[in-house]
Amino acid sequence: MNKEIKQSLKDIVGDENFTDSLIDRIAYAKDASEHQHRPDAAVWPISTQQVSDIMKLANREKFPVVPRGAGTSLAGLAVPEEGGVILDLGRMDKIISINIEDRLAVVQPGVIYAELDRTLSPHGFFFPPDPASGSVCTLGGNVATNAGGIKGAKYGTTKDYVLALEVVLPDGRILHTGSRCMKSVSGYDLTKLFVGSEGTLGVITEITFKVNPKPPMTSTAMANFETLEDAGRAVSEIMHSGIIPSALEVVDQQSLMAINQNTDLNLPEVEALLVAETDGYTREETEFQMAKIVSIFEKNNATMTRQADSKEEAEALWTARKSAYGVVARINNNLLVEDLAVPMSKVPDMLRSISELAKKHHLAMPTVGHAGDGNLHPVVCFDGTDPDQVRRVEEASEELFKKVIELGGTLTGEHGIGLAKAHFMVLEHDETSMDVMRSMKKLFDPNNILNPGKMGLEV
Amino acid sequence: MEGKYEFENKFRDQVLRCSSCGFCRAVCPVFGLTKRPALNARGKMLILKEVMDGNVELNDELVETLFQCTTCASCTNQCPSGVNPPEIIKQVRKDMVHSGTCHPAFEGMNRVLEEYSNIYGEDEPEDFERERNKKAEIVFFIGCVGSYREDEATLATLHILDHLQVDYTLIDEVCCSGALEDVGFNVNQRLSQKNVDLILATGAKTVITGCPYCSRTFNNKTEYSALKDAGLDIIHVSRFLKDFDFGVKTDQWVTYHDPCDLGRHCDIYDEPREIIRGIAPNFVEMRHNRADALCCGAGGGVRGAFPKNSIAMARRRLEEVEEIGAEVVLTECNSCVHNLKNAKLRAQKFKIYTTTQFLNQLLEAS
Repeated sequence: MNKEIKQSLKDIVGDENFTDSLIDRIAYAKDASEHQHRPDAAVWPISTQQVSDIMKLANREKFPVVPRGAGTSLAGLAVPEEGGVILDLGRMDKIISINIEDRLAVVQPGVIYAELDRTLSPHGFFFPPDPASGSVCTLGGNVATNAGGIKGAKYGTTKDYVLALEVVLPDGRILHTGSRCMKSVSGYDLTKLFVGSEGTLGVITEITFKVNPKPPMTSTAMANFETLEDAGRAVSEIMHSGIIPSALEVVDQQSLMAINQNTDLNLPEVEALLVAETDGYTREETEFQMAKIVSIFEKNNATMTRQADSKEEAEALWTARKSAYGVVARINNNLLVEDLAVPMSKVPDMLRSISELAKKHHLAMPTVGHAGDGNLHPVVCFDGTDPDQVRRVEEASEELFKKVIELGGTLTGEHGIGLAKAHFMVLEHDETSMDVMRSMKKLFDPNNILNPGKMGLEV
Repeated sequence: MEGKYEFENKFRDQVLRCSSCGFCRAVCPVFGLTKRPALNARGKMLILKEVMDGNVELNDELVETLFQCTTCASCTNQCPSGVNPPEIIKQVRKDMVHSGTCHPAFEGMNRVLEEYSNIYGEDEPEDFERERNKKAEIVFFIGCVGSYREDEATLATLHILDHLQVDYTLIDEVCCSGALEDVGFNVNQRLSQKNVDLILATGAKTVITGCPYCSRTFNNKTEYSALKDAGLDIIHVSRFLKDFDFGVKTDQWVTYHDPCDLGRHCDIYDEPREIIRGIAPNFVEMRHNRADALCCGAGGGVRGAFPKNSIAMARRRLEEVEEIGAEVVLTECNSCVHNLKNAKLRAQKFKIYTTTQFLNQLLEAS
């Protein structure tokens, strides 16, 4: 990147919001995935106008721009694979307005998820899609990846809450999509087009969210199952019983063994452990729902079922699920947190396949997931300095996603495609759909300057 | 495989274990202020991986991040992978100094302690009008900040010890020099030996420190192991005072700032609160408290090397005091008091004291 371009960037954002120093370029080379490539420079814009001016410059000079939130992507969405400029939106971090009357929150993209949640809490409201990285991830990133969370089965994902967006297009024009109304079918749904577009179509600079009243009561229960099939049948039966739990999580045997090796929790090392939560406005309501779930657990041969009577007990029941990431993160140097979704009825088949793949390739692949919406996260723990292990991980991934597609599943439930799964896109999407996606990218970004190299869009 | 730098030999596995999840962003005080990922633990670990891979040298370009860490250990506390960044960074700083790279403020600190007996390079400490180096049950070790900057807080503690009729002595103390270990150097043996000799000569069984950092140094550094070998108990003053009933109370709204050196580094959260609840029933917690407490921004040499950011971090901490409307902020570390007081805006009407200072005020008023 030449000096003139750098100077133009400084002229737009000010010297204090531009960097090309080595430490920043290294820090921006990576997100939470295994991908890595240094940018030439980074900027911290503080207004939509600055973002627009940067995009005009980039479009004219044809250098890549990679929008970035907290860089917690597990699929390489924020890695500047082709260099260029990192557009760190972390300093556009104002909550512009909370309008409970209209159930709206308007935010800049750099607002942290937890900060919005904290602001909504005194109003008795919340923003339901709660990714595990909620304490750090930015809402701009959540929209760009269409992030989910453990409440997906009942409350959906980010896309179900985005009503309107302000987006800077790759040519610098500022686009306003959607409306502040709960319902709107006026024109094409441009809003949803940008949700989950992974920063390849435009830079999100303002978001209008619908927010939900937060049910104050919850009930929690946990159950152990000797076989995956029993657990799978229980999940399936719960989900068509008329009760929709606010969370229904699964922890597999490899995770339980890893947790036991690293903690004093002494969990039974069964094939599957399920944790369910119901929510509502009265104790009666949450317990009525939970009683039905517990009876389904028991009917499907749960060897042990525990129900929490207090907040502390509920937290204890969640410990196994919530400690899983911390435990597997310590097993080995490198972590590949995979993400896939299958139709709910296929969850046991998928878990069985993961376990077989791990054995076949001599890998540790503990798996946790959101059983209630069929979204699973096998975590591959390996040593990236060992080429043989890296090869086995690659082979296992390839087979894993072939199996996912075979079972009628999808490559990603909530982490996105990014770089990690770009080469798998054709497994799931036929020529026509790839062609339409590529045409859309060309329409918005003819010079391919915005987050290039992602989603397998380049031929 | 022998690494080029000592940190690789000691911490290679830990640096590799960082999974770049970025959860440290939520808690790092330097990142919270600057919003610059190169300055949080993930950024630092990525840079160190590049050093281990031989792509980058430990040179002046890295000073801005590797020397800008308050060693508050919030990241350690948050890390799912069990990485302890402050310990790694302290070793890296030593490696940098060894290879001729250092922040001028840190070099200055080492030079001052080679010449003087305190971190401020001053000749005359406050006298405190107490007999020194006498035989006593207890040595009260003040520390540099308490001796040269926050002498009112020290005087208040001494009044309380007098009030409780404690058999204690001061000594002609010199800087414990533990802080040198954080900024790329080693404990100064001339100074540590002098402290050890003076303490042992009193025949005391207990050392009470006014500064939590000094207490960590005495307990953990080999240069001070003679104290423990001689059976001395070394405690911070908050541990000592928690068992007394002072018979005074205030109805003011009081909050407590956990110093990193007492909280995350020593796991002491309850004792200071027990004392405060005893004298101030209207006790209220700040949003970030106990293990999640925000750092005041003074530690790890940051106050000296990056004073503007250090004060700005203290301001962020004080915003949380305003949020809860407390009238008094108490803490157990003179260094925190010093930085927080420097950061306080005129419009902020609350007061900042050490707990003992506040307690002494209540005793004097009663």
